[in-house]
Amino acid sequence: MLELENVHVSLRGFPILRGVSLEVPAGRIIGLVGRNGAGKTTTLRAIMGLAPVRSGAIRFAGEDLTRLPAHRRAGLGIGYVPEDRRLIGPLTVEENLLLPAWAIGMREAPDRLRWIYRLMPEVQELAGRRAAQLSGGQQKMVALARALMAGSRLLLLDEPFEGLSPALALRIGEILQVLRSEGLGVLLAESDLHRVSALAERVYTIERGEIVQENASIGGI
Amino acid sequence: MEQLAIILMDGLVYASWLFLISAGLTLIYGVLRILNLAHGSLYALGAYAAASAVLFYFDRGLWPPGSYVALLGAALIIGIVAGPLIERGLLRWIYGRDPVYQLLATYALFLILEDGMKLVWGVNPYYAYRPYGLLGTVQLGGIPYPGYSILLIGVALLAGGGLSLFIRFTRIGRLVVAIIHDPEISVALGANVSRLFLLTFTLGTILAALGGAFTAPMISVVPGLSVEVIVLAFAVVVIGGLGSLEGSVIGALLVGVVRSLMVHRIPELELFAIYLVMALVLLFRPQGLFAIEEVRRV
Repeated sequence: MLELENVHVSLRGFPILRGVSLEVPAGRIIGLVGRNGAGKTTTLRAIMGLAPVRSGAIRFAGEDLTRLPAHRRAGLGIGYVPEDRRLIGPLTVEENLLLPAWAIGMREAPDRLRWIYRLMPEVQELAGRRAAQLSGGQQKMVALARALMAGSRLLLLDEPFEGLSPALALRIGEILQVLRSEGLGVLLAESDLHRVSALAERVYTIERGEIVQENASIGGI
Repeated sequence: MEQLAIILMDGLVYASWLFLISAGLTLIYGVLRILNLAHGSLYALGAYAAASAVLFYFDRGLWPPGSYVALLGAALIIGIVAGPLIERGLLRWIYGRDPVYQLLATYALFLILEDGMKLVWGVNPYYAYRPYGLLGTVQLGGIPYPGYSILLIGVALLAGGGLSLFIRFTRIGRLVVAIIHDPEISVALGANVSRLFLLTFTLGTILAALGGAFTAPMISVVPGLSVEVIVLAFAVVVIGGLGSLEGSVIGALLVGVVRSLMVHRIPELELFAIYLVMALVLLFRPQGLFAIEEVRRV
């Protein structure tokens, strides 16, 4: 479904990604593991159109994303959870969730919101609170819920477990498994291999902007 | 007591005028992250267009109260024509660039607009005072006060209220808030930032032109209007916090009342007092009174 082929990204003249190729099929969780600065975040940002691709190709469901304007990618069904959550502080949790629907003019937004609340009742309890008042863990959950609003086919998660309590990390893992069973593709960037291998069918290891290893993992069902 | 009331009323009128100009400036900065040095020229364009519209209107011998519609129409036309022209023609090429480039580019735009206005309207003053006289004076608790000044307060209240409702209760308004706080994530969520930039700049231009248009009947419209206005508007938005609309309301009120107090009591210190207030605010809150709120990082 998502395919990166020999993707190169440079920032201010420095090569950050050097020929990254990977694949995320529908209904699969794929891990992208590497140390800080290895290029995980840049890979996700390139898929979202937030980092400029110098050469190579990014395809999603048969469509070439490489030169597609960044704001049109969410509308294709791609949701993105950045590492630092990036919620909009003065808006309520529900408004944060609805932002993608407003931005791309989703008609099925109320149904989608109900579906998200069923999947994550803990987010519904926060619906009326302003995002600025949430704890870090709550923000992670809300950021995941917000990505699901537009992300009906593919989810890109950047360090979703970082800084979470074990119980909350377990809960996110549980949600990801439900999403996989519903046919979503998930690309999970993590620095901790153990976390990923428990969930992912396949793990790519990235080092200094290059994929150095590709393994089938034990976590896949 | 009577003098205190007059000081407060004068302050309120001055604040309304300042708010119309600085609301657009701060909104444009909040969304586009560009400090538009040519914002005062948009105000001056509004003033010139309104003066011409009013003179044309009365030359035709039309129903005098309709001249207020001419003022409004002139502001809207300037906003809708000049806003998109400047945003598409200049600003979109300098988004995200070094602030020095942006300041140079908008300063160049200021110079071009200044000369452009001289080319179109010449250097002689325009007097479009008739809408001012139409409202006569009203009695406020026994004190006579120009009716037109009350109208100016009404225009600022309507513009501010309308803007606030738009931002709080419409989907586009909520997207504008998202962009003010995090343009990049807004794009990732699907917001067409380029369209929202265009809309915001046009809205900011309409506000500046509205300020100019409704000021035109109170002054003689001459070259050089822009400079006086932009310096004061900067003081207001710096006091309020760059990018904050609430801040521009409080900043305008503060500057308005302080200036009015000085004009009535120590006229020599009129301008000095404004910058003293700014310096004091910056001393204790370098980010201004209402900085943009951040979410917790832990």
